[in-house]
Amino acid sequence: MTDPTDMPPIDDDQALAGELALRVLSPAEEAAARAREAAEPAFAAHVEAWNERLSSLAEGIPPVEPSPWVWPRVEAGMTPPAAANDNGVVFWRRWAIGSTGLLAASLAAVVMLMAQPGPAAVAPVAPPAVTRVATLTLESGAAAMTLAYDPGTGELYLAPTDAMAGDVRVPHLWLVMPEGGVQLVGAIDGASISRHSLGQTLSGPAGQANAVAVSMEAPGHTPGPNKPDGPVVAQGELQQL
Amino acid sequence: MSAILTRDELALALGRTGQGDRAAFRRVYEATSAKLLGVTLRILADRQLAEDVLQDTYLTVWRKAESFDASRASPITWLVTIARNRAIDRLRSGAAMRTATPIDDAFTVADDGPSPAQAAEMGDDVRRLNDCLGQLDERTGGAIRTAFLEGVTYDALAARENVPLGTMKSWIRRGLMRLRACLDT
Repeated sequence: MTDPTDMPPIDDDQALAGELALRVLSPAEEAAARAREAAEPAFAAHVEAWNERLSSLAEGIPPVEPSPWVWPRVEAGMTPPAAANDNGVVFWRRWAIGSTGLLAASLAAVVMLMAQPGPAAVAPVAPPAVTRVATLTLESGAAAMTLAYDPGTGELYLAPTDAMAGDVRVPHLWLVMPEGGVQLVGAIDGASISRHSLGQTLSGPAGQANAVAVSMEAPGHTPGPNKPDGPVVAQGELQQL
Repeated sequence: MSAILTRDELALALGRTGQGDRAAFRRVYEATSAKLLGVTLRILADRQLAEDVLQDTYLTVWRKAESFDASRASPITWLVTIARNRAIDRLRSGAAMRTATPIDDAFTVADDGPSPAQAAEMGDDVRRLNDCLGQLDERTGGAIRTAFLEGVTYDALAARENVPLGTMKSWIRRGLMRLRACLDT
């Protein structure tokens, strides 16, 4: 035994997270720990930190060049980019027909919006009456942005996740109108929270729109007011609060 | 032929992969597939299986890349973790027959730290981990290495070292705590 002062006390959660990352647990123990990982962000963060600590062990493993057939098989298994991303027409038609199967902007969206730790300049002392919210999701279902719009004041609030961060293209926000057309709101910040005041020409349509979408446009390019030129990467139904 | 990407370049390529950029994904594959095959082969000890798992791994990477967060994980850790977990899942699914590496040899290999030549090429993180592992009881450090490199459970580790299961658990749990204390200070 070593010097007891040399022995940190065992933190059970930390030890379990390490055991899970190392994968020494029995199948039953592992299943239980995975369930905790899925349910508890703090525990999941412990596991992630352990992965980070331990991964250096892989540095000692000699690399082995894969056979040439591996990449073609990977490529064959890649799901093609969603058709809607490449074909705006299909996307808008789908909207016009009716937005079934959309991820409803749920209470979770509101909670996420409220919990968003925005910079001081953004955090309103007395928030305006938020009446319409949307969670924009990527094709994969991952959240891209939370949006809130107050038709009373024309105030638009955008809280992107980091899903669009690092993209060199410029996200543009669109309103999807009930009759099927779209209307450009404008270029938005895809990386951090922003607030906008919609002018009179947009506040009306924004109050009627039943959904919002984001297209990615080439830097410096402004698409026409009724049709995006870049791929539509995210979308979400507008819900009344 | 492996292209060398810096950590930032790899993180960027992974980020682009998450946006559906196939060329970026190809760059990720070219820069990391030899490393990841090393990892899966070490665990599965069968080239065919290891390459199957490699294929699986990259399809997972393609699907999950948009959840990669460069502010929270290093790109290579993220990739190694997926590859290693996939390989261990396959190992435990019973599809793998470990015949290629005799147990005694395996333990010896895993016990060995990096050679001086390897150590010289390693980054600070790696050197630190090796220093901290070196401060552990030799059997504990060896067991942690073996668990990581071969993906074996407490049961197998205890059997190999011929100690009760509880003893092996205690070694590793204490070892992990000391490792964490050493790495995080």
